[in-house]
Amino acid sequence: GVAMSFLKRFPPPAEGVRHQQPDTEAVLAGRSLGAGTLYIAESRLSWLENSGVGFSLDYPTISLHAVSRDLNAYPWEHLYVMVNAKFEEEETKEAPMTEGEEEEDSDDDVEPIVEFRFVPSDKSALEAMFTAMCECQALHPDPDDEDSDNDYEGEEYDVEAHELEQGDIPTFYTYEEGLSHLTAEGQATLERLEGMLAQSVSSQYNMAGVRTENSIREFEDGMEVDIAPVVAGQFEDAEVDH
Amino acid sequence: MEVSHSVKERTIAENSLVILLQGLRGHVATVDLRDESTATGRVTNVDAFMNVRLAEVTFTDRQGIASRLDELFVTGRNIRYVHIPDEVDIRATIERQLEAIHRVRYFGGRDKGRKEFPRAKPK
Repeated sequence: GVAMSFLKRFPPPAEGVRHQQPDTEAVLAGRSLGAGTLYIAESRLSWLENSGVGFSLDYPTISLHAVSRDLNAYPWEHLYVMVNAKFEEEETKEAPMTEGEEEEDSDDDVEPIVEFRFVPSDKSALEAMFTAMCECQALHPDPDDEDSDNDYEGEEYDVEAHELEQGDIPTFYTYEEGLSHLTAEGQATLERLEGMLAQSVSSQYNMAGVRTENSIREFEDGMEVDIAPVVAGQFEDAEVDH
Repeated sequence: MEVSHSVKERTIAENSLVILLQGLRGHVATVDLRDESTATGRVTNVDAFMNVRLAEVTFTDRQGIASRLDELFVTGRNIRYVHIPDEVDIRATIERQLEAIHRVRYFGGRDKGRKEFPRAKPK
């Protein structure tokens, strides 16, 4: 038989509940635990019977979940959840559970598997339940991942900086991020250039190269600089915020 | 060609063969699980942690009993093998996925460039 002592009383999760499905039967290894509400929360998956007792499952223990509509396999459409854990009291020597859980020999590699089925009275909710679980599972990537090359923690991995060390891959800043990297001098230059753009006409009237305040004055003496009014939209493709 | 919306996931994918699995989207593939059950279905998503989502699945449990599942999500940790379908050109798939990632990273449009990878701030 199944030890029911793992059922505990606890308040329903209040935060990060991606989906909540009332009137849902929970079935553990083929045995019904009654009707209750399934809470698919970001921190854990919980089910609370209407009487207020229930259980929670941690996402890292869930190996897979699925929507089953195959009535030959199981007579009701349900959310199937396979868990890598034991659900029995440590003291009692349980006979091997029916339907799915096997006590393999002392082979450490094979972990115990327990099958849960959550049968909502509203079958149309299964899609949403499945999707909510996918989203929550994705929030709990495997900490034991062998991929030790994991300097992706915390700060976003700066692939660009890394690649620049290796070669010359062209990079772009968007306007905002470029701005934030300017020194005070750079800021001043940018402002000057923007000012010039605002006053000047298209490139055919400009001298080549960047003109400083001084050089403008110089040319104003001898040359007639024909400054046409700025046409609205002329510099639309410049990434400049006025 | 869909790539992840997450900077971190794109980076992980780019540096591992998960990128190949991501290119299997739309193909029917068989996944062998750690407990020796298998799932064959159409790949709808693979994320950077190798979590695989399949649709229209034939699931064969470790006793050999088959059943249909409309949708299945199996965590990367529990996957032993993914069988690459014969019709998939592995090299071309990887290249396509890399291109898609680079398109997203380097060629954001006018004002819509993704603000990705700000340089490390000077310490």
